[in-house]
Parts: sequence; C-alpha cells; structure tokens
Amino acid sequence: MADPAISIRNLTKLYPIPFRREQVRAVHDLSLTVEPGQVYGLLGPNGSGKSTTMKIILGLVSPTAGNTQIFGRDSSEVDSREEVGFLPENPYFYKYLTGEETLRFFGKLCGIRGAALKERARELLKLVGLEDAANRRLGGYSKGMLQRIGLAQALVQEPRLLVLDEPTAGVDPAGSREILDLILELKTRGITILLCSHLLGQVQEICDRVGILHRGKLVREGKLADLISVESQTQLILENASPELLARIEADIAGAGATLVEKTKPQTTLERFFLEVTK
Amino acid sequence: MELETVSRSHVRHQFFSFGRVGAIASNTVLELVRLKVFYFVLIFGLLLLGCSFFMTNFDIDEQFRMLKDVSLGSMSIITWMLAVLATAMLLPKDTEDRTLYTILAKPVPRFEYLLGKLCGVFILLLISTLVMSAIFAAMLFIREQTAISQAIKGAGRVLSSKEIGEVTQGIRAETFTWALVPGIISIYVKAALFSALTLLISTFASSWIFTIVISAAIYVIGHIEPIARDYWLTQHGASPLTKVFLALISLFFPDLQLFNLVDDIVAGNAIALALFLKTMALGGVYALVYFFLAYFVFAKKEL
Amino acid sequence: MKPKRRIPPIIPVTLALLLFGAVKLPIEQSLDDAHRASFFRGAKLTLGLREQIGQGAFLAALSGYRSLVADLLFLGAFTAWERTDWGKLVVLCNNVTALQPRVIKYWEMSVCYMAYDASVAARNNPRLPREALRIKAERQYWDLGRDFVERGIRNNPDRWKLYERLAILMKDKYQNHAAASEAFTKVSRFKDAPEYAKRFAAYELSYCEGREAEAYALLLRYFNQGPQERLPTLIARLKALEEKLSIPPEQRIYIPARNHH
Repeated sequence: MADPAISIRNLTKLYPIPFRREQVRAVHDLSLTVEPGQVYGLLGPNGSGKSTTMKIILGLVSPTAGNTQIFGRDSSEVDSREEVGFLPENPYFYKYLTGEETLRFFGKLCGIRGAALKERARELLKLVGLEDAANRRLGGYSKGMLQRIGLAQALVQEPRLLVLDEPTAGVDPAGSREILDLILELKTRGITILLCSHLLGQVQEICDRVGILHRGKLVREGKLADLISVESQTQLILENASPELLARIEADIAGAGATLVEKTKPQTTLERFFLEVTK
Repeated sequence: MELETVSRSHVRHQFFSFGRVGAIASNTVLELVRLKVFYFVLIFGLLLLGCSFFMTNFDIDEQFRMLKDVSLGSMSIITWMLAVLATAMLLPKDTEDRTLYTILAKPVPRFEYLLGKLCGVFILLLISTLVMSAIFAAMLFIREQTAISQAIKGAGRVLSSKEIGEVTQGIRAETFTWALVPGIISIYVKAALFSALTLLISTFASSWIFTIVISAAIYVIGHIEPIARDYWLTQHGASPLTKVFLALISLFFPDLQLFNLVDDIVAGNAIALALFLKTMALGGVYALVYFFLAYFVFAKKEL
Repeated sequence: MKPKRRIPPIIPVTLALLLFGAVKLPIEQSLDDAHRASFFRGAKLTLGLREQIGQGAFLAALSGYRSLVADLLFLGAFTAWERTDWGKLVVLCNNVTALQPRVIKYWEMSVCYMAYDASVAARNNPRLPREALRIKAERQYWDLGRDFVERGIRNNPDRWKLYERLAILMKDKYQNHAAASEAFTKVSRFKDAPEYAKRFAAYELSYCEGREAEAYALLLRYFNQGPQERLPTLIARLKALEEKLSIPPEQRIYIPARNHH
C-alpha cells in the first residue's frame, strides 16, 4: 500500500512565553492523513494553527510532540523536501533577479543543472504564462505575476506534493481562475495538493477533502461533499416547468407531509458573470 | 495553460552539495552588490586621489609612506565595515522577506544555507580587497613614475643610465614592495573573521542594528584584548574582581592586534612566511569556530 | 503537556567560547611574542600618550590605525616646526615615535628638529640675554636630539641608519670623535651598510687624541685594498697622520702625479 502523501499523528506544538510559566498552544493533538492525488483544504480562522502545521510539515519548525511524515519520510529530514513544493503566502523573492534567474536559482537548490535546468525553467515559465516576462526583474512584477512565479518555483523539482498557502490572495478573478485551473490540472497528473485559503468559494470548488482547525484542534474533517450536504433537504432544479406542474408538485409535497422550504430562480455565480462580461 | 510532459531530471538528494552552497553564495554576492556596498570602494578611490594632492609638500619617501598609510588604513576600515554591514543584514533580510522559508522549504540543509551566505560575503570582501589593492597599486605606480621623472629633471644635468637606474631603484624601494602583500591579506582575514563573528551575533540578535553595535564594540575590545591579557597574566597585585574581568576579556575576545600588520609593514618591517601563515591560520580557525557556533544556534532556531 | 525545557543556546555558546578561549590563549601569547621578536607591535600605547593625543586618536591607534594617526601627528609636527613652536614640537615628536617606533624617518626628523633646528634657534634666542643661558639651552636641545636617536636605536637595533645619525650628531655637535667613530663602526657591521661607513669610522678615529696610530693602520689597510678605496679624504687623512706620527718617507704612501694633458 502506498504511503500517504502527508501523515500527521498526534501533533502538538507549544510555544513557551519568555519569562512566564504558561505556553501558547498552537496545535493540539492533531491527526490527519492526506492520500496521494488528493486536493486537501486546510481551513481555519487566523491563529487556528494552520501556518504552524504547514511549517512543521515543511520542517521549518519542530513539533513538541507527535510526528509528521511526507510519503513515509519524517518531515524533519531534509531529503523529505525533495518531494515537496511550497508556495508561501505573499511570496517575496529576490527583487533583482529576473523570472528565469529565480527559477534557475531554485532549480540549483534542488540539484538541477545545466541544460536540464535551462529547459525546466523555460517550460515552467510557459506553464505559468510568464514567458514574456522571463527577463524582467521580479521587482517589476504584479501581484498575480509573483504568485505565478511562486507556483513555478514550487514545481521546479517536479514534487509529488504541493503546499500552497493562499495561492490566489490578492490576485484578480481572471488570474485566480488560471491558478485554480492549473491546480486542477496538477491534480489530474497525480500531484497531491495541500491548500490553505480563506477564499472558501475556491476551496469548495477544487478540494476533495477539508480539515477545519480552530484554536489548534481539528474540529471537522472529511470529504467536502459529505461535510456541506444538508442531509434532510433535496434540491431540484427544473427547466421550462409550467405553472400547473409547479402547483401539482407543491400539492404533492404538502400531501406527503414534507415542507417546501424555498422556491426561487437559480443564480449563476458572480465570478462566472464577471468572466462572461469581461471576456 | 497546459502542462507539458517533462522527464524527472533532478538528482537524488546529496548529503552535502557544493552546487547548493555555490548557488546561495553567488546569489548573496549579487544581493550585496545591489545594495550598492561598492560605493565604499568608490569613496576609497576618492580618498586616495585627495590624499595624493595634499601631500606634494613632503619628501618622496614621506609621500609614499603617507599614501600607503591612508590606502591601507582606509582599506582596513572599509573592508571591516563591509564585512559587518553585509553580514548583519543577511539573516534578518531573508527572514523579513520570507525568502528564508522558500529556500529552506527546498531540500537545502540549514548548514549549507548558512555556509552559502557566509561564503557570499567572503567573495564580496575578496572582490573589494582586490579592487582597492588595484587602485592602490595604480596610485603608487603613478606617483612613482612622477617621482622618477621629477628626480631625473631635478638633477640639473643629463644622468647616465647607471645613475638613472640607481634613482629608479631608490624610488621603487619606497613604493610597492611584496612585503605589503601579507599586510593586505591580513586585512582580508581580519574582515572575514569579523564576518563570521557578526553572523554568530545575528543568530541571537533581535535586530540588525543590535548586531552592528555589538560587532563594533567587539572590534574595540578585541584591540584592547592583548593589553588585558598581559595585565591579567603578569600583574599579581590586582584585585580578584579585576582579574576575573581581565580573564573574561582575554578568553572571550580575539586578539585583533595580531592581524594589524600593515602599520609595521609600512614602517619597513617584513614578516617571516612561517609566522605570517600561523597568524592567518589562527584567523581562519576563529572564523571556523564562530561559523560553527552560528550554525549550532541557527540549526535549532524556530523559523 | 509542557514543552521540553530547551537550554537557551546562549549558554552552550558561551561555554564553547570560554573553552575555545582557554585553548587559543597560549597560541595568541606565543604569536604575540613571535611578532614582538620580529619588531612588530613595538608601539607603547600608554595612558600618558592617550592624554597627549586625545581619546579619539588613541582609540584609532589602538584599533589598528596607528600609522595613520602618526602621519597626522607628523603633519602637526611639521606645522609646529614651521611656527618654531619647539615645546609643542617635542611633544609631537614623542607621540609620533611612540606610535610608530619602527619608522626611521620619524626618529631622524626628531633628531634634526631638536639637535639642529631648535638648538640653533635657542642659541640665537634674543629673549635669553646671557650667552651662557643660550649655550645651556642649545645643549639641552642637543641632548634631546641624542635621547631621540638613542631611543630610536633601542627600537631599531636591526637597522644602521640611526647609528649613522648618532655618529653625525656626535661629530657635528658634540665634537666627540671617539663616539662618532664607534657609531660608524657599528654601522659598518651591518650587511646592508653603505661602504663608506668603515672609512668614516677611521676618519673620526684619526681625530681622537692618542689613537692616531690605530687610525693610521686602519686607513693604510683600506688604501692597500685598491684604487676604489683611494678617495681624496682618505688620502688626505693618511697624509696628515703620516706627518703627525712621523712615518719615515720610505714607508709613506705613494700617490703618482696626475697627468694634466
């Protein structure tokens, strides 16, 4: 059986407060698993422990108790990061480097050299739509461009796991759509994605599973569809239904002892509307 | 956007990679150069130019000695300032900009990250020292040629080639001699030692200003250390508290006077190769110790 | 659950530095001794000097900019010389030589300023009405000059220039030909000494009462070494000594007459 992409067992992280006895409990006895090929949304309000959990997965912070593994390797070991690409929130790279130089720099850190590195950088720039800006310094990039180059550097070593922290934060709807489409494309290629985002609409669109953290604890976790279904209700959407048909259906509902909760016209999303209008 | 199929081209994780260290080091040099630290070198060049105009009232040998003193003194302070300023900014800047997370999220051991950063500063210091040495040598050469032509003209008669040779040799003995090279190397080694020390301080410090202030204080104390050491080891009448204080200074701080060779080299002293190599080796050991202690702190640091 | 109490890293780092300090201390001490034996680090940076040159200059001198500070003070000395401020000049010369004891020029200039310039100024000082006082002041400046050259020699025993300066001072001012001869002899023992030094030692010896025979033997030996030694002064001194010592004619040196075509 294949190792899970991420395996978190009884993870606890406590931060001592200098000169005081009490500690800050950032994460408390967290256990969760992300299977390979899934898109997992890690949600929670500010201060819920998402960032701490992510940093522990990436080996930047060590746990107080418990352990985390990436594809069966302890995440505190450096070589476990061969399999991980990370896009931080508000990525800030070296302003003086061009897009291509940035990817070559990170590629070298992952052991890619020479012609292979050059080719890889070119492909990634094409992938994220920054071919024309390849020789422009990052200091001149827009927010959306920085997110895209950030995604490109996260992919430079062809990781099996991507950790994305607010990948569409500050990006316009068109750019967000491109990033989301790319995430879905990466998923079809079998890349596991751990996504942290406050934009719940986007999370709902692309995640298979979600985990909700609150004050360091996992309060809900499971398949998205299961979590957000309202079990006791059924939704029907009719097209070209005549008023007589609707009256008959309402009568049947009342006769069966059920309740008609709402009768409205369905709406498209504002995003779809915006995209249609601005195409 | 479409994703093309690419082959897995990266190598297996290496325990230690010169390539990773080199990538971080070269990036650090670029970063520091872009901070316009090389303007210091420009100031150096201007200082020398100004100095040479100012000295024309003096004898040839006094002029050359002053030119050497100003050049080597400026080189010493500029290299030290570059070392401290460049190193003090390394970690805080990466942490504040979060590039530190992006880099360490790659399979890059913290040791290599720190080593790469420090090597970048060492390379910057080497480039600066070489550029300043070239400017210094050029100024010496120009003054030397001017002095030779003035001496030949000032003789008041046509000199024989033997006499011209003697005049030239006499003036050349006052300008560039190979004995200056150990002095310049010692300036570089002292700056490199300080860079490693500043890195150690920055792993503890809460801000880069604090790092710079502490480094500057250690610079002064390090030059007084030999006096404290002499007093501690030879004075028997001092109070126990004084002895403890002097002992702590002697043990904690490096003897920076060991690396101040230029004053006596300009005065005509030449240092024996064996003694010079031993002194530089001690500087290298200091830098290594400070680096490893910095790594010890950084390895366990919560980011 | 309590987090494991981590020892703050400053504690092991401090202990490591102390341990390293214990190891490096004897190495530094031995290197320091080796440097001093090679005439490095001979400057005496005392509290007295600090009071004279000020805190900033003293700190700069301590921090490895001794030579720069000495240069600046030397410029000040030059200015004091131009203004004939001899009192200030003495102080500055002392400071400069304390900071850079291995720069021969500083010692030489100090000797010249004191024994040649200040002494002459004192001898001609209109503010001193009595000749005896003026002579006394002149001699005090000679002694100051001598003190400088002797201290310079103690700091630079491996160099001949200051021995030569001492010899010239003894000859010019003290008329002490024996001391001058002795100093020139010391110069001649250095490998890189000028070749005239041995001759000058013999010339000075030739002026010493009771040592004419010794001087004659030396000068004759040089004369017999070949034409390169038969310089006019040497020949003149030999001739003078031949007269003084009543050397028989057949033993006197022969100088062929010059052909004046």
